[in-house]
Amino acid sequence: MVKFEYLEPTSLKEACALLDQHPDDAKIIAGGTALIIWMRMRLLNPRLVISLEKIPDFNYIRYDDKDGLRIGAGARHREIELAPAVRSHYPLLHETFRKVAQPRIRNMGTVGGNLCQGDPLTDPGASLMALDAEVTLTHSKGKRTLALEKFFVDYYQTDLQPGEILTEIHLPPSIKPLGWSHIKFTPRSVEDFATVGVALTLRAQKDTCEDIRLALNSVAPTILRAKRAENVLRGKKISDGLLREMGETAATEVDPMDDNRGSAEYKRDMVKVLVRRAAQEALQRISLQL
Amino acid sequence: MKRFVALKVNGEEYDIDIEPNRLLLHALREDVGLTGTKEGCSIGVCGACSVIVDGKLVSSCLTLALACQGKEITTIEGLAKDGRLHPLQQAFLEYGGFQCGVCTPGQIMAAKALLDANPNPTEEEVKEWMSGNLCRCTGYYKILEAVMAAAHNKISSDFQVKHERKTAKIQSLNVYKDS
Ligand code: FES
Ligand code: FES
Repeated sequence: MVKFEYLEPTSLKEACALLDQHPDDAKIIAGGTALIIWMRMRLLNPRLVISLEKIPDFNYIRYDDKDGLRIGAGARHREIELAPAVRSHYPLLHETFRKVAQPRIRNMGTVGGNLCQGDPLTDPGASLMALDAEVTLTHSKGKRTLALEKFFVDYYQTDLQPGEILTEIHLPPSIKPLGWSHIKFTPRSVEDFATVGVALTLRAQKDTCEDIRLALNSVAPTILRAKRAENVLRGKKISDGLLREMGETAATEVDPMDDNRGSAEYKRDMVKVLVRRAAQEALQRISLQL
Repeated sequence: MKRFVALKVNGEEYDIDIEPNRLLLHALREDVGLTGTKEGCSIGVCGACSVIVDGKLVSSCLTLALACQGKEITTIEGLAKDGRLHPLQQAFLEYGGFQCGVCTPGQIMAAKALLDANPNPTEEEVKEWMSGNLCRCTGYYKILEAVMAAAHNKISSDFQVKHERKTAKIQSLNVYKDS
């Protein structure tokens, strides 16, 4: 790891000012679980590392029936996993965060750090996307809000601009009954990255699908929303055949890579199967059996 | 540029002079001089470097030492008190929870963090919690057994006494002279 200076600003304002002063050679550190590995591998060699740990009230998790859920970007995976509001209003998030790596890493890694790393293999982004998350990006002159699905640009590249810090994740209120499913498919052990990850939410009236969100991780350069697959089901009368068609459509929207977790072909085939299973599970959760 | 840092490890203050890029793992082993914490994978996966910082289990290989100023750090060396082993240490000995021992400090620190928060875990909870601590020799069953034994106080009360007698006996043979 190269040598660097290390600063711990005690306000967001101070952190943004530091980023402005060091446009090319500073990096933000939150939990450190990704950044330190990259620095040790000398993939990133910042001259200045700015820690967000001393910024007060940066890890809040607040729920309001009208406003929904607001998560401070500094919240650790473990805090989100265990937050009572998350358990009761967003069981999909609870289920997802408890599958990220293992408890020790969940004690360290933050949700903001996870999203800003832009790693398509990680789990939280897909479930947050399936719940219509938007992120707030703050800079010294103000802030902007962006739908999470627009935030991921390419492998490890996000829409975060120089001088910006991701500060908050917002989810709209949870509308019940909401069918949901999270599948983290790993042929190796659970704490590994997924071979294919599927996050799905849907609402149905009688046997008609009113709305659906489907997001996938580990199968493209970014975590992505499979909109064409969603459209197969949205507004339609749900049938086994249609679920199958949705899986097949999703498989045409992904662009997986051969690696030690499986060949691209295998991953694409698993997308077909797992998307269908995720929809079936979501339907079961709202007691719509097919 | 080096910075002067006070680290509080196992209740004692250590003043060390370190570069900001110094990892907690290396600060503990090389600057503080406590080598019980081990380095395995260096990327947060194996758990050999597990320590407890302000009550939370973390990988010291992914933690900057500077970020730990003012925090309470507990390492494997902080567990035995007044010559008495911590129940977890005794359980690992009694139940054969290790072979080569390189993963053991991390296993025990992970188990300690769990039992501190949840003194009565189920086997499933122990398995899930310990999934980030890899062991390449023991087979996980004996580790699980040791943790459950410590949790349910199934460790023998005279272990320490017998152990001390055994050690005293060996020493009385005078084979290894203490200089
Ligand atoms: S050495 Fe830190 S987790 Fe393996
Ligand atoms: S005892 Fe050898 S690695 Fe665990």
